[in-house]
Amino acid sequence: MVMSASPNDEHKPSTGRYLNQSKIQSALDHAQDLGASYAEVRLMAITDSSVALRDAKLERAIPGQEVGVTLRILADGAWGVHSTTDLVSLPSQIESTVRLAKAVAARRSSKDKPVQLAEVPIFEDEIHWKSKKDVRHTDLQTKIEHLRTLHDSAADDDRIISVTCGWSDEHLHTELMTSEGMNRTWSFQRSLINASVTGRDGGEVVSYRTRHGGEGGLEVIEACDLGQLGEVARIATLRLLKAERAPSGKMPLIADRDLTGVYIHEALGHPCEADLVAAGDSCLDGKLGQTIGNDIVTVVDDPTIRGGYGAHPIDDEGLNTREKCLIKNGVLTEYLNHRETAHHFGLTPNAGARAQDGLHHPLVRMSNTLIQGGTHNDMDELMEDIEYGVYACGSRGGQVDTGRGSFQFAAQEAWLIENGELTRPLKDVSVSGLTLQILKDVDGLTRDAQLAAPGFCGKGQTVPVGDGGPIMRISQALVG
Amino acid sequence: MLPDDAVDRIAEGCRQIGALCKSQGIEQWEVVATQSYGHSIDIEAGKISLAAGGGEGGYGVRVVEGGRFGYAYLVDLASADYALQQARDIAKASPSVEGFVLPSEQTARKVGGLFDTNILNIGPEDLLEQADAILSEVASLDDRAVVTGGGLGVGASAGAIFTSEGIESSGVTTSHGIGVQVSIDANDELTSSYEGDSSRKKLKQVPDCVAVAVDWAQKTRGPIEVNTEAHDTPVLMTSEGFSPLFSMVVPSAVRGDRLVRDESFWSGKQGEIVLAEDLSLIDDGRMEGGKSASPRDGEGVPTRRQTLVENGRLIGSLWSTRDAAQQVAEGRIDHAQTNGCAVRGGHQSPPYTGCSDLQMTSTRTPSTQDSLLERMEDGYIVHSVMGAHTANPTSGDFSVTTSTLLRVEGGEILGPVKQAGLSGNLAKALSSEVYLGDDVRVQGSYSSGAMHLPDVLLMQGLRINPA
Repeated sequence: MVMSASPNDEHKPSTGRYLNQSKIQSALDHAQDLGASYAEVRLMAITDSSVALRDAKLERAIPGQEVGVTLRILADGAWGVHSTTDLVSLPSQIESTVRLAKAVAARRSSKDKPVQLAEVPIFEDEIHWKSKKDVRHTDLQTKIEHLRTLHDSAADDDRIISVTCGWSDEHLHTELMTSEGMNRTWSFQRSLINASVTGRDGGEVVSYRTRHGGEGGLEVIEACDLGQLGEVARIATLRLLKAERAPSGKMPLIADRDLTGVYIHEALGHPCEADLVAAGDSCLDGKLGQTIGNDIVTVVDDPTIRGGYGAHPIDDEGLNTREKCLIKNGVLTEYLNHRETAHHFGLTPNAGARAQDGLHHPLVRMSNTLIQGGTHNDMDELMEDIEYGVYACGSRGGQVDTGRGSFQFAAQEAWLIENGELTRPLKDVSVSGLTLQILKDVDGLTRDAQLAAPGFCGKGQTVPVGDGGPIMRISQALVG
Repeated sequence: MLPDDAVDRIAEGCRQIGALCKSQGIEQWEVVATQSYGHSIDIEAGKISLAAGGGEGGYGVRVVEGGRFGYAYLVDLASADYALQQARDIAKASPSVEGFVLPSEQTARKVGGLFDTNILNIGPEDLLEQADAILSEVASLDDRAVVTGGGLGVGASAGAIFTSEGIESSGVTTSHGIGVQVSIDANDELTSSYEGDSSRKKLKQVPDCVAVAVDWAQKTRGPIEVNTEAHDTPVLMTSEGFSPLFSMVVPSAVRGDRLVRDESFWSGKQGEIVLAEDLSLIDDGRMEGGKSASPRDGEGVPTRRQTLVENGRLIGSLWSTRDAAQQVAEGRIDHAQTNGCAVRGGHQSPPYTGCSDLQMTSTRTPSTQDSLLERMEDGYIVHSVMGAHTANPTSGDFSVTTSTLLRVEGGEILGPVKQAGLSGNLAKALSSEVYLGDDVRVQGSYSSGAMHLPDVLLMQGLRINPA
């Protein structure tokens, strides 16, 4: 029975341990005896809750606890993995997982290199990012009150026919033990509030979504003026009811921080992931050190930005997280990597490994990704010499084909720019382009870069991310 | 792969939690359990990069007291008492929905084709051999082609539902899936295509999708120049290109609660023509071998095959128990009741309304691709889109990007186009002059509804914006 044996105690302190260290150490030793060059056990215990209000009434509230553990073994230069919700059974899976890894290795052709891991410092410690107001101590009524504040503001017009507000929070506790002696425990929390607003005027129906959240506890939500967040969503929804469809074609585009963040996440961040580069699925393969963008473009991915939705203290291979500078003044300077790809490319490991939860193995992922600020003072300066273009704001999401280097992102709403001024509101604006072209077409950035609304990134696994930057101008973008 | 007693053990777990509910005097309760096991292989850069196995599962418990419901989920039976307390506390804070009670037991007939013993016998070595066969096939089809990503896997999932109203049901389903990203990187041009296939039954060693992926990576090479002005145009969307947009927009439009809450572009149009008059939409929760089919829905109600749109006319909608009770209680509709359309995202989710296996059919004779192209004359074939998730399900509006498209003139394929924007309103595009191909393929997931769609020629309502 897989799901029966987790020491799943909701009262366990954040510094407590789920793994029986001596048994896990014996299992890791056993893996090495069987020929593993590396073995690790990573456990993740997630205590979470989600709450939804529909039209001010509690629609659902779901508290939950999940404990998952993944055994990852490198033998003969290939990976074998076993994931389970049953902690006790893990040591018994060592032999079969070593066999899996060796079976993969046996199929490797002579032209393929065996997997090796870059060396990293070994730590035995605990790091806990404490929230000011622990999510595990936030009662349902408090959450409902915050959601009602958001709802009441968003719903305050007869043309708003529906408002659904959501809350999610989670306490993430991770334990990692490796055959190299790494023995780390870390924890942190995330909180998020959102609203989806639907407006109708005659036959016209539109919707608008808004989010606020970040790394931390209840204080993250309390720091937000939820009344204002709801008001902005309401006004935008009403504006969309009167908005025209966007023009199509190539034209100058100004993007707010939300869209700037999604743009840089999709257009640059994903192609910078070294596992995709190594797989031959990135347009940035072989371009380290080359100029790929305008010299005003500097991009960082930084999981150490506390409060960012993609923040985390340690990556899922046990490395201390740090800022990665992906582009410096237009030059591609760094891929996001994990230990395998760092060795593959001969790079310094930069702690880019993240797993969705305890049941998934780590992949190379982004965290908080943002373009740094430029020299323009404000949006007016960016806009003043645009005769005909689009100002797009708020993200409905995006997607990228990393190999072809083509991407798409969609805006929640937009305005037409005519002769340097915002004129008519637009809806259904999407922007597409090619990474290697559009980075060169970024020709204006305001000074004030900061993270925007939180988001989620899918790459087979889903992880929370923060994106942002300043307000950005692209000289020629394909608007649809 | 699947322990012999897997079903018995989760059923016993459900009984234990049910007994706890009874002992606490809970009015109505529902316990669900899922437990899945599987093996998978990852492929990267033309080689097998990883082999994995394992299992996961848990329990979910819904309590209903005085029309109020609460939910909690757990992994460890030892924490059932705490989870129940949480669910009861939530129920107390929830609004009472007049008339909301858990469904009572009704006989549910078996649905065939959801389980294949052959899948249980597939071990990691068999999957590795299949992965090798796929890699060899790709290389044999085009020596420039490489599987840059993807993988394959098999799984068996045991599920159970036990309720205070006498529902006691359990069973096992199997699945076998493959997805490959094939790239051709030559002469300073990289093209790629992702294709996949999955089934409740064992797939053949090299599924057809592998050759399709190579084919699209090949035929999108060497883009031609086209008029870059945005223009309205007919578009032939392959099943693979159409499905992501369709599944984002249409299933939510036929949810009963969204229809009566004015949140669907088909709100207020019950009984009216909403699609081209030869088209019908059918959700078949009992489809043999259906990816989302099952004898019972997510809250134990027997599933059914139901026509939602018949010859263009909206005649049905999807309902689960609570949504139906709530919309009646709030006065939005005089009468509504569950029609077996409750779905769940596993044990972590209470039931909500959704489709299972959704089909779009036509009374016209299905067309071959050649005859569809002949009808289109000038336009584009689109095989995949980026950003389908950004489509607006409330309005049907979308604006996406495609790098997998071919220009058609005079009914003949001229060549690929590097990139284009594609926008329109799907509800309007489906309302007239829609022609369906003759090869229905299944797209979508096991958990959120499968789409059974052929290639679809949309003559009106779409705008293309070549880069």
